Amino acid sequence: MWKLMKLEWKKNNMKKFVIKAAIVTGIIFLMVLATSGELDDMETVETYGKSMIGTAVDMFANMAFMLCTAVMLASVIVGAYKDKTMDLMFSYPISRQKILLSKMLVVWIFNFSALILCKLMVCGGLVLAGPLAHIPAESVLPGGWRDVSFYLEILVDSAIMVSVSYTALFVGMRMKSSKAAIVAACIVMLLTQGNIGSYTLVHNLPFYLGMVVLSAVSVFLCVHGVETRDVV
Amino acid sequence: MPYVIQTNHLTKTIGGKEIVKDVGLHVKKGEIYGFLGPNGAGKTTVMKMILNLWKPTRGSIELFGENLTPKSYGVLKRIGSIIEFPCFYERLTGRENLELHCEYMGYHHPGSVEGALEMLELLPDAGRPVKEYSLGMKERLGIARAVLCRPELLVLDEPTNGLDPAGMKHVRKLLRNLCSEYGMTVMASSHILSEIESIADTVGILHRGELVQEVGMQMLEEMNTACIEVRVTDTKGAAFILSDKCGMNNFKIMKEGNIRIYDPEATVQETARVLAAHRIEVTAIGKKAETLEDYFLKITGEADRTCGN
Repeated sequence: MWKLMKLEWKKNNMKKFVIKAAIVTGIIFLMVLATSGELDDMETVETYGKSMIGTAVDMFANMAFMLCTAVMLASVIVGAYKDKTMDLMFSYPISRQKILLSKMLVVWIFNFSALILCKLMVCGGLVLAGPLAHIPAESVLPGGWRDVSFYLEILVDSAIMVSVSYTALFVGMRMKSSKAAIVAACIVMLLTQGNIGSYTLVHNLPFYLGMVVLSAVSVFLCVHGVETRDVV
Repeated sequence: MPYVIQTNHLTKTIGGKEIVKDVGLHVKKGEIYGFLGPNGAGKTTVMKMILNLWKPTRGSIELFGENLTPKSYGVLKRIGSIIEFPCFYERLTGRENLELHCEYMGYHHPGSVEGALEMLELLPDAGRPVKEYSLGMKERLGIARAVLCRPELLVLDEPTNGLDPAGMKHVRKLLRNLCSEYGMTVMASSHILSEIESIADTVGILHRGELVQEVGMQMLEEMNTACIEVRVTDTKGAAFILSDKCGMNNFKIMKEGNIRIYDPEATVQETARVLAAHRIEVTAIGKKAETLEDYFLKITGEADRTCGN
């Protein structure tokens, strides 16, 4: 499996995605920096345990990398069916399930790592730029750098956000369309990050757990029976 | 007789329509099997089923004497293939694509990539990204990839697509050499009959999803005896002379004043002499051997008539 993942990395030009992820991180940093004056509200820290700036970093990063996950899945899996390279892959003496899972894992590991790094780098950048932009460090990191819960939250949040994007893969594969996968990811992104008035599903644990279960089912359905299905 | 490929009542139905019906192929070890049929006959479908990409609706496939199941991965290691058109990772170079193929096939033999590139005359372009290749170069790279791991069986769908005449000749020679030197078995489909005629040992003719004929080229040559074709100005008069004066019944009046005489005892000289003696003007006369194309058209035409009846 590890070898398959390495080959996926090599042939899918992942460097391109690394550069894009770096650009996205930079854009998020600039967006949060530009709006930090309006977001600087310490009352939310007392209410939610997280500042508005921290929430904005989470939201922008989650949205960007949920979309990035869907784009990569569309390119690496749905695109491979469309450009017939999947026919080639399935003509190798390797289990089809392994081939698909290796592709999914490469995308998951990349986006999970990129999302964590993005959040850490943006927060770090904001703390460093704080004195110049008049952002107190407590607005970005209420518990400081030594707060373990900050890192734990980033880890769990990133794993959940990247995982829920896999529902989009199922849609893309069923409809044999990369566009459908991306549109589905946008819908999931709006559901998980958006709000209607004061109503939002952000931080709604049962909803997130439900979405993770749905993603797991989607992955299962993508892989299940792939050995006996025609490659079209 | 050990068959490398054998299919039994192979049938594929898509959307209620039978694309392939009851196909029974028999490909012998070390031969070149020409798989012929017009566009849409079902050749690619059969080849996809042989490669396990598509699953049969009914019937079975035996490769190297073993039944093909959805999890027959091991057998794929012994096969090289091109289906429809060869696809590549366009961003990677020709050499990188072949190296990647070796990695997936688990084939690590020093010099094999360079050897395959050289065999297909692609060495000078091996370092260029595939997206810069012409159609013919991609086809050659596809063949290089198919033969790279020295498979026992090559399944090639229209292998000379996009090649110029010199390229076609080169590929034909290559396939012949692979069979004779390495004992590879080749199954190559085509709708260009002359392409197959010169290299195939056996041909299978697929028409409207059915295998209408499977015959050895040697037997085909024996079956399709040469005929005498004579062009005259008066076909009715000539036909009367041939049947009444020469006692010939095995001839056929064709279009444009041509008559084909299939009588094995008839000679060009005697036919010309008899017709001239009865004042029938002969404008052309000569021996004509039936080509694979003639045979193909005859077979598929007969199949059409059977379907029509």
